Amino acid sequence: MPPPPGPTVFVVDDDAAVRKAVSRLLRSAGIAVAAFASPTEFLAQYDPATHGCLVLDIAMPGFNGLQLQTALGEKGSILPIIFLTGHGDVSKSVQAMKGGAFDFLTKPVNAKNLFPAVRAAIERDAVARGEQAELSEIHARRDALTPREREVLEHVVGGRLNKQIAADLGITEATVKMHRARVMAKMKVQSVAELARLTERCGIRGTNSLKPAA
Amino acid sequence: MSWITVVWSINLGACLTLAAMYLAVWCKQRESWVHLLFSCSAIAAAAISAFELGMMNAQTVERYQALVRWIHVPVWVLMLSFVAFVRLYLHAGRAWLAWSIYGLRTLVLIFNFIFPASINFRAITDIRHFSWAGEMVSLPVGVPNPWGLISSFTLLLLLIFFVDATITVWRRGNWRRALLIGGSMIFGAILAWHVPLVIWGVIEVPFFLGFTYTAIVAAMAYELSNDMGQAARLACELELSDKRLNLAADSADLGLWEWDLSKDEIWVTPTRRAQLGFPVSGKITFEELISRWHADDRDKVRQALRDAIENGRDYEAEFRAVLADGSVRWVAARGRVQVNKQGNPIRLLGVSMDITARKQAELEAARQRHDLAHLARVTTLGELSSSLAHELTHPITAILSNAQAAQRFLDADDVDLNEIREILNDIVTEDQRAGEVIHRLRRLLTKGEPQTYCDDVDLNEVIGDVLKLMRSDLINQNVTVGTDLAQNMPLVTGDRIQLQQVLLNLVLNACEAMADCDSPERQLLIASKSENGTARVSVTDHGRGIPDGKREHVFERFFTTKKEGMGLGLSICRTIISAHRGEIWATSNGEGGASFHFSLPVVSSDALSPASSTVLDGSALTATDASSAGVTAPRVLQGSAANGSEAEELTVSVERLGRKEAALAD
Repeated sequence: MPPPPGPTVFVVDDDAAVRKAVSRLLRSAGIAVAAFASPTEFLAQYDPATHGCLVLDIAMPGFNGLQLQTALGEKGSILPIIFLTGHGDVSKSVQAMKGGAFDFLTKPVNAKNLFPAVRAAIERDAVARGEQAELSEIHARRDALTPREREVLEHVVGGRLNKQIAADLGITEATVKMHRARVMAKMKVQSVAELARLTERCGIRGTNSLKPAA
Repeated sequence: MSWITVVWSINLGACLTLAAMYLAVWCKQRESWVHLLFSCSAIAAAAISAFELGMMNAQTVERYQALVRWIHVPVWVLMLSFVAFVRLYLHAGRAWLAWSIYGLRTLVLIFNFIFPASINFRAITDIRHFSWAGEMVSLPVGVPNPWGLISSFTLLLLLIFFVDATITVWRRGNWRRALLIGGSMIFGAILAWHVPLVIWGVIEVPFFLGFTYTAIVAAMAYELSNDMGQAARLACELELSDKRLNLAADSADLGLWEWDLSKDEIWVTPTRRAQLGFPVSGKITFEELISRWHADDRDKVRQALRDAIENGRDYEAEFRAVLADGSVRWVAARGRVQVNKQGNPIRLLGVSMDITARKQAELEAARQRHDLAHLARVTTLGELSSSLAHELTHPITAILSNAQAAQRFLDADDVDLNEIREILNDIVTEDQRAGEVIHRLRRLLTKGEPQTYCDDVDLNEVIGDVLKLMRSDLINQNVTVGTDLAQNMPLVTGDRIQLQQVLLNLVLNACEAMADCDSPERQLLIASKSENGTARVSVTDHGRGIPDGKREHVFERFFTTKKEGMGLGLSICRTIISAHRGEIWATSNGEGGASFHFSLPVVSSDALSPASSTVLDGSALTATDASSAGVTAPRVLQGSAANGSEAEELTVSVERLGRKEAALAD
């Protein structure tokens, strides 16, 4: 089924009755739901671009909830996972927590607990997706820089003066100024402080010392 | 009075006395035709004597002529009786000779009454009186009838018949009888020749046919009295041996019985008769006897008897008898059908034995086995409890979510009633599902009564039940279950719960054996198949297998390879399977792991046979326990306990389990 626009809650449970009832409960709160009978079925149809969260039964025959968590992690998915557990699944719960589970709900799951958890998970997903979008924008701007401009950028955020940069790179100070203006334009920032914040987010380290002696 | 009158009268009297005696005997034993024939001979001999006396004293020709004519009637009776007697009593004499004599003699009798005077004389013209041995006797004077030769000829045939019969009896080795009866008859038949000789005037003596025949009658009477003496002696011996037999039967607490099928009359040894409240004498019919059996057992007994009578098999049944004092005793009866020459059943002879003590011991052992099995089942379910609770959370989760969804839908402005209806249906379905889980559990937890859970069981259903029960546990342990179930699996007879328990144990053991394996290797295969009149279930794991040399011991009580185990699970499995007359055994797989198999006899078509309907009562338990070491499964059941110590060991096991329970409670 094509995922509806907007946030979708994916329900994965091997028990048909539970799957149907939980989906129904979520729909009663106006939440879009897509239900799957097994992790395999879910993986086959899951589109990572869809925004939402995953409500996952921890104990299923064969490919179980924990294995799905691992598989999603390996795919780089950031989909928050709410685990549904029975009593006495302590060791599995610990394992799921280590794997970055968003929440645990004990069966039988109460609407009072399910809705806040689902809403929080969706919100977290939204935030994470926003952050991810911002980051990829910064990466795109950074990638637009030429190697020389990037060199100059590293020196600038390292707090060095134009004169020092010119000396280090063996170019004229005027050329440094020109590169610097282009960098500011391409990274769409007004100040060096702003530039420093962006470069930090995309993992560029500033160069603030002399080149090591050759 | 002349001595002739005295002697002939004595002869007459003696013959009549003998006739009266044996007629009385015949009246009591109607089937004893020889006695009747003898009586007829004796009466005829007496009549002949009377006629002869009358002839000797006859004063007129007419009277003499009438006497000569009428004497042929007793002679006819006498000859026919003699011939029939020889045929019946001595089983000798040629049939064609006998029939010739019957025919000719009857012809003689008819002719005798056709001719004007008699067959002997055309006419008697005069009576001649002459002195004989000092007495005056009368003799006829007249023209002999040539047809009288036929009469003489029958006399000749009679002689030949007697000689032939005597030779036969002699050759048979019965010399005394040949000499006495055969000899006297031959002698008599020769002496009877004086009659034609007198008639033809060759010799001159009074007729003494009465005496000749009396000699034969006396010989016959002697033989018959000998027989009766022997019968009396036999009766006496029989009574003695009857007493001995009754004493032996009483001291062994056996009842002997005999059922005459044609008369529907049952004879039972006196002690048993008294116990059952029947009067000392009098007829007992089958219905009267069976009314003393326990109402629940009567049909079983009838069926076994019908089977024995119709198919000529040995009768064998165990049932409860309600004695006159109201007490109930268990009785084992065995019998054999007797058939007549045509092969039709006429009688059933048998023995019955009081087996109450044995039965009580068996029931006690069965009860203890039942208790132990129940305790073990409760313990096993205890181990499974978290999985079972999990099994309940599914329907409860569905119910709660459905109900809360419905609440929210109802709060909406436009209520979709179809949706609500569907939700309520789902809630009902899930509630039933939860109920089933509880019901399944409760069935396993209830103890029930031994003997009562005996029905036809489909082993595939048992496998399905156990897999449903263990679903969560198997998921938790990451065990993948494969099934290979036979189509149209034949039914077996037994206790469904106990069979579930066996399979539950085998599956739990298999899972434990695979606990150390990597997840993908935790594969369990449950297979069912039908072969050689048995239904078989196999549980195969890929675990660590059974160490060599231990395979024989796994079914022994208190044998365990686990840290926590008590070593009771498999021994209880064996006890249960043995009580179902089945086998249980273990094999090692080539690629590691072990297989446990059990097979049970398939329900036979004649489900009413006592063997199949009493599978779980005490008798079956003893039968299998006693033979388990040798018969049931020699590969695995070598160290089986002897019958006597079985109950004791069971008690020990129960106590041990009880202590463990107590320890757990602390």
